[in-house]
Amino acid sequence: MAMTLTPMEQFEVKPLMEHPLFHIAGHPIYFTNQSLLMVVVVIVASLFLSLAVKPGRLVPTRGQSMAETSYEFVANMIHSATGEDGLKFFPFVFSLFIFVLFSNFFGMVPGSFTVTSQIAVTFSLSCLVILLVIVVGFMKHGIGFLKLFVPHAPWYLLILLVPIEVISFFTRPISLSVRLFANMLAGHTMLAVFAGFVVALGSAGGIFTGLAIAPMLLIVAIMLLELLVAFLQAYVFAILTCIYLNEALHLHDQH
Amino acid sequence: MTSREPDRLRELGERLEDVQRRQAAKAKGPPPNQLGIAGRFATELVAALIVGGGLGWGVDWLFGRFGFHTRPVFLIVFFVLGAGAGIRNVMRAATELNARMASKDLEK
Repeated sequence: MAMTLTPMEQFEVKPLMEHPLFHIAGHPIYFTNQSLLMVVVVIVASLFLSLAVKPGRLVPTRGQSMAETSYEFVANMIHSATGEDGLKFFPFVFSLFIFVLFSNFFGMVPGSFTVTSQIAVTFSLSCLVILLVIVVGFMKHGIGFLKLFVPHAPWYLLILLVPIEVISFFTRPISLSVRLFANMLAGHTMLAVFAGFVVALGSAGGIFTGLAIAPMLLIVAIMLLELLVAFLQAYVFAILTCIYLNEALHLHDQH
Repeated sequence: MTSREPDRLRELGERLEDVQRRQAAKAKGPPPNQLGIAGRFATELVAALIVGGGLGWGVDWLFGRFGFHTRPVFLIVFFVLGAGAGIRNVMRAATELNARMASKDLEK
């Protein structure tokens, strides 16, 4: 029986409308399944967070408690990573965390689309983080921000160390985006591959049909693992943002 | 509002705060698992090589535009520097992890 397993099909970006919305420099811009999911994520996240805290009760409801817990979680994270003056960036880090978290969780819904499995999305987010770090660093320290690239070492070593520090700084957007993207991509591909096993075994007939239960159980286990990864990666993205902001705010003195 | 608050409610609030404080001390972020650590180190190292190589390639391209045929000198130099940066990144990540593990152990 000819079965075509296409585990990568789920990551395809497809236009949802026949006609492009508009053109940028001759390139047609479509409203794709990716755009749709991003819109859904933003709307659901904002609605959930604003409606949940609306009652403002002393004894919180379940929803309010969830919203408040996530608020406190991020606030504690920023406070422990950057100190008191990092809390200025709470709105930024919180939006980033919630966006990534909701995108990851929405990707777990069967049949939906994982926004964060697209390197274009994660790389844009991490570029935003690094640009913010650079802007904040120069605003706070002026030209002294460049001291970040000069470690304590004799001058003849600095010839070697300064380029290394500069390269190391510019790896951040890449490692930040690749980590999130790769985790999402790998997890969802794995799920699709095992789902393919279930279909292939189930349709093979005879004793094989019964064996299809094994990959099925594995999918359940991987699904749970993926839920953990979805949260963990959102957390890692946010905490690394905090760590980079901390360096921009305090240069080397907290290390 | 706090003055009119019944005593029982205030007592409950205090108890809740106490529990929250204790839990906040316990759960400072999820524990880093082995696979996550491995993935982190690998991306740090590879990303540095890519950036180093890319920068070198760009410098070569720039010199080429002005008529100096330096390719592949800067590509090689920056690739090696990228490897250095990668090791630096991994070292930094390891120090960070150690600090986090140490604080975890202290709480136990």
